[in-house]
Amino acid sequence: MLQKLENNPRFMANVTFRHTIEAQEGVFEPIPEFIPQAMRDLLKDKGIEQLYSHQAAALQAVQAGEDIVVVTPTASGKTLCYNLPVLKTLLEDEEARALYLFPTKALAQDQVAELMAWSDSLGGKIKTYTYDGDTPGDARIAIRAAGSIVVTNPDMLHSGILPHHTKWMRLFENLKYVVIDELHIYRGVFGSHVANVLRRLERICCFYGAKPRFICTSATIANPKEHGEALLGRPVTVIDQNGAPRGRKDILFYNPPVVNKPLGIRRSSLLEAEAVARELISHKIPTIVFARSRLDTEVLVTYLRKAFHRLGEPPETIRAYRGGYLPKQRRQIELDLREGRVLGVVSTNALELGIDIGTLQAAVLTGYPGTIASTWQQLGRAGRSRDSSLAVVVANSSPLNQFIIQNPSYFMDRGVEYARINPNNLFILVSHLKCAAFELPFREGEKFGEIDPQEILDYLAAEMILRKVEGRWYWMSENYPAAHISLRSASTENFAIIDTTEGKTQVIGEVDRFSAPMLIHEGAIYIHESKQYHIDHLDWEGQKAYAREVNTDYYTDANLDVELKVLDVFASEELPQVRRSWGEVMVTAKTHMYKKIKFYTHENIGWGQISLPEQEMHTTAYWFSVPQEAASALDQGALQSALLGASHLLGNIASLELMCEPSDLGVAAQIKSPFTGCPTVFIYEKYPGGVGFSEQLFEAHGRLLWRALSIIRNCPCPSGCPSCVGPAEETGINGKEHTLWLLKGALGHGSHQQAAPAAAPKE
Amino acid sequence: MDLTSKLRQLLPQRSSPPPVQHRADLDPLLGGGEVDTPYGPCYLVTKELPLSHRHGRWFLETVFKASYENLGRLSSGAQQPLHLDRTLFLDTETTGLAGGTGTYAFLVGLGFFTPTGFVVKQLLMRDYNEELALLYLLDQELQQKEAVVSFNGKTFDLPLLQTRFALARLGLQGASSLAHYDLLPLSRRFWRRKLDSCSLGSLEENILGVQRSGDIPGYEIPQRYFDFLRTKDGRLLQDILEHNFIDIVSMASLLYRLQAVTELSPEECDCPFEAEALSRLAHDTDQYQLALDYLSTAAALAQERELQIRILKQSAALFKRLGEYERAAVLWRKVLAWVEDDLHSAEELAKYYEHRIKDLESAERITKRALAHAWLAKSPRIPDWEHRLARIEGKIRRQAVDV
Repeated sequence: MLQKLENNPRFMANVTFRHTIEAQEGVFEPIPEFIPQAMRDLLKDKGIEQLYSHQAAALQAVQAGEDIVVVTPTASGKTLCYNLPVLKTLLEDEEARALYLFPTKALAQDQVAELMAWSDSLGGKIKTYTYDGDTPGDARIAIRAAGSIVVTNPDMLHSGILPHHTKWMRLFENLKYVVIDELHIYRGVFGSHVANVLRRLERICCFYGAKPRFICTSATIANPKEHGEALLGRPVTVIDQNGAPRGRKDILFYNPPVVNKPLGIRRSSLLEAEAVARELISHKIPTIVFARSRLDTEVLVTYLRKAFHRLGEPPETIRAYRGGYLPKQRRQIELDLREGRVLGVVSTNALELGIDIGTLQAAVLTGYPGTIASTWQQLGRAGRSRDSSLAVVVANSSPLNQFIIQNPSYFMDRGVEYARINPNNLFILVSHLKCAAFELPFREGEKFGEIDPQEILDYLAAEMILRKVEGRWYWMSENYPAAHISLRSASTENFAIIDTTEGKTQVIGEVDRFSAPMLIHEGAIYIHESKQYHIDHLDWEGQKAYAREVNTDYYTDANLDVELKVLDVFASEELPQVRRSWGEVMVTAKTHMYKKIKFYTHENIGWGQISLPEQEMHTTAYWFSVPQEAASALDQGALQSALLGASHLLGNIASLELMCEPSDLGVAAQIKSPFTGCPTVFIYEKYPGGVGFSEQLFEAHGRLLWRALSIIRNCPCPSGCPSCVGPAEETGINGKEHTLWLLKGALGHGSHQQAAPAAAPKE
Repeated sequence: MDLTSKLRQLLPQRSSPPPVQHRADLDPLLGGGEVDTPYGPCYLVTKELPLSHRHGRWFLETVFKASYENLGRLSSGAQQPLHLDRTLFLDTETTGLAGGTGTYAFLVGLGFFTPTGFVVKQLLMRDYNEELALLYLLDQELQQKEAVVSFNGKTFDLPLLQTRFALARLGLQGASSLAHYDLLPLSRRFWRRKLDSCSLGSLEENILGVQRSGDIPGYEIPQRYFDFLRTKDGRLLQDILEHNFIDIVSMASLLYRLQAVTELSPEECDCPFEAEALSRLAHDTDQYQLALDYLSTAAALAQERELQIRILKQSAALFKRLGEYERAAVLWRKVLAWVEDDLHSAEELAKYYEHRIKDLESAERITKRALAHAWLAKSPRIPDWEHRLARIEGKIRRQAVDV
């Protein structure tokens, strides 16, 4: 497979790094004695006569009554680690129940198919059901009464099951296991929410007298024990000695060629990834391409289909796969993938999680996914079990990408990220305390996780949301609180996109509230299944966008303008040349305009205005400001360019430092901040109340600036490029120099006063 | 910054005035009293109406003396005839419509007949801590009866109470062992097409002849109760208790009216919608001739075209079932004269011409016209029609050859 690419000199010229992970033999253990014969026979039929060492260890630990987290790579047979103990218990006790939580419906679907096959072979007594938003009403009743294994997602547990726990009495009274797959996904905001949902689950189990064991699996993260314990609120045993064999995997880092030397602009990673994928697919190598956004997914599908159409292939050879599709469409794509009708899949990170596709041999990553763990997950999508496989990471021009591609050792040696959550984020905590009080009144002295919620409950009582009578807090509102709290984003309401072509009224997709101004403003080209739709009308109040199929040669891209106001300072420190702080801020985001961008050339061919309401968010931020006197060494224009450069760079590398998703953070620079009165760079969290990133950035302040400085110093461009301080056309011709001066000064490397560069050199 | 000030910043605050504690005595306002239970006290209001009382068009005595043979048969999940002396009329007032374990039934109204009158007992929790006592008393009342009558209880009141009983964990049965008659689906059978809404209010006005004045709208009830909890001002509850009381008495009248309608013979019917519904009931019990008789009453009374067409089609289907194809064909032709694109009647008629009386030319004419309408309507059954047409044309060709 690799040979085919190696024969292509144009391709190899851009490969900056190659790494081969050699095949590895498996480490095996006998199947533990306590596994019943019926299950052994079944395993034998599947060709399994021994277990991988980590599977055996997991079984022993569960048997000993421990709560466990199994941390091994993709395709290492993790599902047996939970299915075997669960099925064993359910075989022995017909009344016993288990609850499986998967982060996506697609994953749940996959698991149910596997469990049903197990159950059929074990006599069919164990009933497995998925319970999610797609489950029809009459099926729900059967599931509540008879589901031995209920497979769902945290969102459904939060809004559909826990608030109706009396209907699920059979499940909760007999709950023996809670299985949580893909534990590493539950980090940041989502993880902080899920930790609270699990606190609520624990309360309900306690009410029904159940004490379930937790069996969790996770992709490799740096702190599985800490993360598991933070999420579950209890001690866990980590099992991380992988005994599974693996095939040889070649990893290539690919840096697109510089096409504009002065501006340091590289060829679009999208186009390069398309070329790489085209090469692979034309050799009939089943390939998955990961795009960074929904828009990129659709653009890539369009390009690839056109390319293969010229070769006479049917368009179905290439399929898009993304979150915005309706469930039925997604199921069909998954099936086509498994059955080989599809050779190329373009996906956002929806497929990063362990959906079993089996046949994929190559993975192409359009851009560095933002975290090392996520990169390994995506690389691992291709080549399950012992087959050899290939993975290509195509970098884009962002500083983060260029840092990674030029420092492969960071990627290879550093190890994966820490998963962090902050279940006690006040906003999140209060939301779930409301849900918990709805589910069961709180008793005085009762804890919520490790929290004593009394003060918050009293506050809610003073706000007339709860009522305290005889030492208990009761829910005193007509509302159903879980309906107003989304685990995955700040806003709960989705906008429906309605196709009105030729008098149709058909819902073709959904967009969350926060993305709506960017994606489905009037005039936007919304791409769905590589068809283009023009958004004719956006009904903001009614949360509907009316679209019409069109055929244009451009797509649209909207800009988000952000304003920021400091509300409170939690900590602040005066350093020699700079003041660092963190605290509470109000962020106002508004989309004013959009650009029309031509396909293939990506040139800007027009623009339009957007007039939609502002969106406000109360969150936390870290910021630093340079004293006015120091800054005055630079003229207004130079200062502006230094701030732009610094925010471009810092915004990109803060996520590296924090090891969070880049999309969790936003950046804003103010030349004279109304709050500090000085030039200031803010990095804020894109979640109400924040989940603790701001405080971490405040503490990492020095390291953050130092790393930014070293990226600028090591960047080969003459005067700023997208890979360091941003292209010169945005940050100005001396942007690199000005930014360097600002950062050096801020770090105290040579004082601001003396190091100010002179006026811009004459061209 | 301390936690409370943080909360104040983070969460939008309501500007509600500080609660005023009235502590006024409820008894003179609500006319009830505290009852003790093993789970503490709650509040009970008992009212009794004499049998000579008239609610809307009927006296309670008439309601009580009637026999309720038919209703058991009609109401799903309840088979035996209904005996009013062993039946509870039940209606709850709740802290919301959302459902789930955080919605409470703070007032449960129970109505039942005694030899001398109609008694309404209203169980009220004056605060959340009285819920167990309320449920305990409710369970005691329920266990003395055989059946419960509700309005929309199947989807709302009974599941909600079941949730409350389950949460209480007192091991009480609640209504789970009682037969249940929900009057809403029954009312819909008879009056859905006649009335814009089958809400109890609409039925009172249009069917029962009950006039309410100054009634509290249902959606205001939860907030009114929360206001009461804050202030303990019993006046806030008066309207709610009155509303609940009338609901229960109206249910008794409605039950009577439903039974009376089911007993109407085709000659006695004076409403086409009721006659249509009765025809369907007769049809469901395989009494086709009776069903036809109801339909002819309905046809005589029907004013709206929509209803008239429906009656024609239902009559045709009954004639077909009775083997009177010719009479059915007359009606299908009538339907098609009114509604050209009624593909169902066209299909029946085409089958009749092709298979029954072998009039292939008429069958062809009908089929061609139907196919044109199928195309216009983008019907998924176009292939069926094409197939039928081809077959008929084939038969015509063969016939021509044979001749």
